[in-house]
Amino acid sequence: MSRVEATTRQATAGVGAATGALDRLGQNLQRLPLHLVIIIFCAIWIVPTIGMIINSFRAVSDMGSAGWWTTLFPPHGFTFASYQQVFNQEGVPSSIVTSILITIPATVIQLAIATMGAYAFAWMTFPGKNIFFIVIVGLMVVPIQMTLIPLLQLFKSVHLNGTIVSVWLAHSGFGLPFEVFLLRNYLGGLPREIFESAEVDGAGHAVRFLRIAVPMTIPAIASLTIFVFLGVWNDLLVALTFLGTSANRPFTVVITQLVTSLGGGWQFLTAAAVLQMSLPLAVFIFLQRYFVRGITSGSVKG
Amino acid sequence: MVINVDQIITAVVAIVAVPLVLLGYIYLGESVIERLGERIQLWIRPYFWALPAIGFATVFMVYPLLRTVVISFRNNADDTWVGLNNYVYFFTFPDTLTSLRNSLFWLVFYTFFAVSLGLIISILLDRVRYEQAAKIAIFLPVPISAVAASIIWKFMFDYQPPGTTQTGTLNALLGVASQQPVAWLVNSTTNNAALIFVGIWSITGFCLVIISASLKAISAEVLEAARMDGANEFRIIQLIVTPLLWPTITVVGTTMIINALKTFDIVYVLTAGAYDTDVIATQMFSQLEHNHNSRAAAVGVVLFVAIVPLLIVNIRRFQQQEEQR
Amino acid sequence: MAGVLSKLSSRASALGVGFLLVAACTTGGSSNTGGASSTDVTQWVAWGGQELAAYRDVLKPFEASTGIKVHLTTNRDSNNQIANGIAAGTDLPDLAPGPTDPVQLKSWVSKGSLKSLESFLDMGAYTGGTYPALTTAPGGASDDPYIGIIGGKHYLMMVKTQVKGLIWYNKKVFTGTAPKTFDELLAISPSQYGAQKLFCAAFESGTASGWPASDQIDNIIMRQNDATFYTNWIQGKVKFTDPQIKLGYQTFLKEVSAANVYGGSNTVLTTNFGKAGDPLFKTPPGCLFLEQATFIANFFTQNFPGTKAGTDFDFFGHPSMGNSQFDGNINGFYDNISMYNDTPAARKLMQYLATAPAQQIWANDGGTLGAIKSLTYTDPIFKRAADVAGTAKNLLVTAGDFMPSDMQAAFWKSLLDVTRDPNSLDSVLSHLDAVQKAAYATS
Repeated sequence: MSRVEATTRQATAGVGAATGALDRLGQNLQRLPLHLVIIIFCAIWIVPTIGMIINSFRAVSDMGSAGWWTTLFPPHGFTFASYQQVFNQEGVPSSIVTSILITIPATVIQLAIATMGAYAFAWMTFPGKNIFFIVIVGLMVVPIQMTLIPLLQLFKSVHLNGTIVSVWLAHSGFGLPFEVFLLRNYLGGLPREIFESAEVDGAGHAVRFLRIAVPMTIPAIASLTIFVFLGVWNDLLVALTFLGTSANRPFTVVITQLVTSLGGGWQFLTAAAVLQMSLPLAVFIFLQRYFVRGITSGSVKG
Repeated sequence: MVINVDQIITAVVAIVAVPLVLLGYIYLGESVIERLGERIQLWIRPYFWALPAIGFATVFMVYPLLRTVVISFRNNADDTWVGLNNYVYFFTFPDTLTSLRNSLFWLVFYTFFAVSLGLIISILLDRVRYEQAAKIAIFLPVPISAVAASIIWKFMFDYQPPGTTQTGTLNALLGVASQQPVAWLVNSTTNNAALIFVGIWSITGFCLVIISASLKAISAEVLEAARMDGANEFRIIQLIVTPLLWPTITVVGTTMIINALKTFDIVYVLTAGAYDTDVIATQMFSQLEHNHNSRAAAVGVVLFVAIVPLLIVNIRRFQQQEEQR
Repeated sequence: MAGVLSKLSSRASALGVGFLLVAACTTGGSSNTGGASSTDVTQWVAWGGQELAAYRDVLKPFEASTGIKVHLTTNRDSNNQIANGIAAGTDLPDLAPGPTDPVQLKSWVSKGSLKSLESFLDMGAYTGGTYPALTTAPGGASDDPYIGIIGGKHYLMMVKTQVKGLIWYNKKVFTGTAPKTFDELLAISPSQYGAQKLFCAAFESGTASGWPASDQIDNIIMRQNDATFYTNWIQGKVKFTDPQIKLGYQTFLKEVSAANVYGGSNTVLTTNFGKAGDPLFKTPPGCLFLEQATFIANFFTQNFPGTKAGTDFDFFGHPSMGNSQFDGNINGFYDNISMYNDTPAARKLMQYLATAPAQQIWANDGGTLGAIKSLTYTDPIFKRAADVAGTAKNLLVTAGDFMPSDMQAAFWKSLLDVTRDPNSLDSVLSHLDAVQKAAYATS
């Protein structure tokens, strides 16, 4: 609190030195240029994807002869052929279910473990803490391919090979480094006073973690959930390696059969891609409500 | 439709059981620890809490990492030690030197633009009512898989001979401005920039979401107080917001640097590293493809060593954070 | 409060542990052992789209008559996955494509991971009925890793094949006679037929960009030199700076020079190979000829619905490079299946796939040649291609496919680089020598 107060005082002191032009600019921030800049950014980010979405509704011969914007004018030439082809593939609906069955548990497992670990790194001291932290986070650079054979052997020795559990554990192992990294930062930024006043009130670490730290970390956990979810959802390599010869395969594996080994039929990938990105997007939109200010405001007294 | 009921049961069990077990672990462990002496508590509690995370990481990543280090000093057939041969290969072979240069470009430009754009856009969006919709727009590229992104950008970068109808968006725009079409991915002057741009495009939404979450954590009352005291927006951003966001910016920046070094998908699907666009990870992949595991291992170790200084910076940051609170 | 919580939590944790035990039991049950032995077969294929649909048609009579269920997975990474599986000792699919890397092939054979065809197939019928080039090593050698023969035994069962290096043209545009030699081909004037340029080419193919170029240069090199030279080159015994290889590159450059190729090098490098032939059918035609394999016919009819094989487009064989003694060499590739788990069901499937009725279904579905000589084709293109395959003295494989994969990648990239900048030929070739030294090294 005292640091924030000091910063505020610094800011107000800086006002005196601000020039008149800066003041005017400051007010202009509220107006038209702001909206303009935002809209331009949004356009740059959205247009390429819109191009693909529109192309997913066109026939392949059209796509080769004219750009996607020509569909905005008659003749439009829309068709559902690509989507039909996707759903005609054997095993598509069950692959979507398998994808969900892989993604949700993997997400839950790694987030639960990471949050606990990050809390320890953020709020407790112990010898070797920094070394452990460097090693755990440094693992982010380890290329997955180097871990495949040892992990396959490990899972085989505990009779988990080929099961969905091995996929969850593998994803959790790969995702933990970044999650611990991010959550440690967020948890470490929580105000000490809250924990102290709770401790004074007799709350043990368990209660402080579950009833104070976790609720206050919701925005970070929500944003992490999205990225973990879509990382597992979009994965192909881990599923192929660890599910191996199993009959149940996720969506990413099944859609490779849309294109011939030479790449013929790539137009169906546009429809598959649109379908594949819609679920993580829906999760994102749903979790947006947790990105709100005010979770921490008012909780610091005095 | 074949539904594996076994798998559904296992999944539901996992979703419910794992948090419950962790909960139980915490409560039971704490109730035991609390009964121990003060000093033992201080010593044992952190390890107890960090154990699941450290345990997982050790099993899944540390052992393979150690194996990777060992392999990098041995030959491919894994029967003799070859010392630094693999490292020498990596640093002297012309292909790898090109990839190092390109990875450096990625490191600098990708990181800088992704983080700055994420920061700027999150600050801008904070001030408009349609923030959620705009966030969705910028986030849109993030869930797109590499294969889908390659299709999207093939459409954007598509090239037709000069004088014929352009099917690629960018070349069509050039045509409207009466310019000749450009072979974006083939032309040496444009291809690296084009790939890095695609990278920035795909990841800015990620930076935006993470930085925005931290931005929201800045208490509204603090900002209101500053505004009421007469501070204008630029000042507030400069003197309040950015310093408070700095830890998050460091985390995001570190992640982006690691991402830049690991970049593989975009380069692989758009050019496969041709025309001098190769990066470290595509090099490593091609070594792995031919089972030159030892060389690939050497690359992995180099990457790991390269980011350790970065992580030390982060640790210092965290220590500062701890001192200030 | 804390007391209540801790009571709740101990119940919760007991519940949680109980759940996990249940989970462990159920996962134990669903652990997959790769398919039961006599009623199921697991197979990995690289096929997708229409190829996969065709294979499913091939499987239908088999599944109907035997009741065996075939579990197919499209896996384009199967080599690596199987290598990992062998190293880790985990389950392998019953059937999957065999490895193209000779070193890997020998290694898997010696480990016993690959099962020989001799153990379950009637070899007399197999070698007698299949195109000889696919099943018999030249000179009766006991080892020919390119077609999967080690120690006199066969490990790759050939099921499909394609002929490459055919020169395609639009029948309504090019009305002249097929040139016999490459020089005659170059001498044809496109404007005489109303076309802009002589050749079309397109080398882009995602992560495998450059393979059409390697097909073009392979077809040149195998007609400028004898089969032994070609195979030595694949095995890394011939350098890239060798004058004959350099000659091959220079000849290749004539096919993609700005004067001869439609759209110039930028178009060649950015256009996807499937669209390579599009200018053939445009008005005015962009080019006269496209060099490609038999499968390109499907792309023509897909991109230009209404065009028909034989009436609208046709092919002639690759012209001689001037040394008629090497004219019997043609370039082709094959699809093969190998057996990794010897089960009764897998045996039955392999035996079925080696029969003419099975492969005839493939032939009927179009787009490919079967490996058996006696199949009939209704499509005029494939009928003629079957003749070409049957009369070939040597069916030589595509060089790049059998080089170590880092060599292949560099080889493909070299072709893209010289297409972009023909003046860089010498530096590209010496660079390839350096890659060759590192790639074929065993450490």
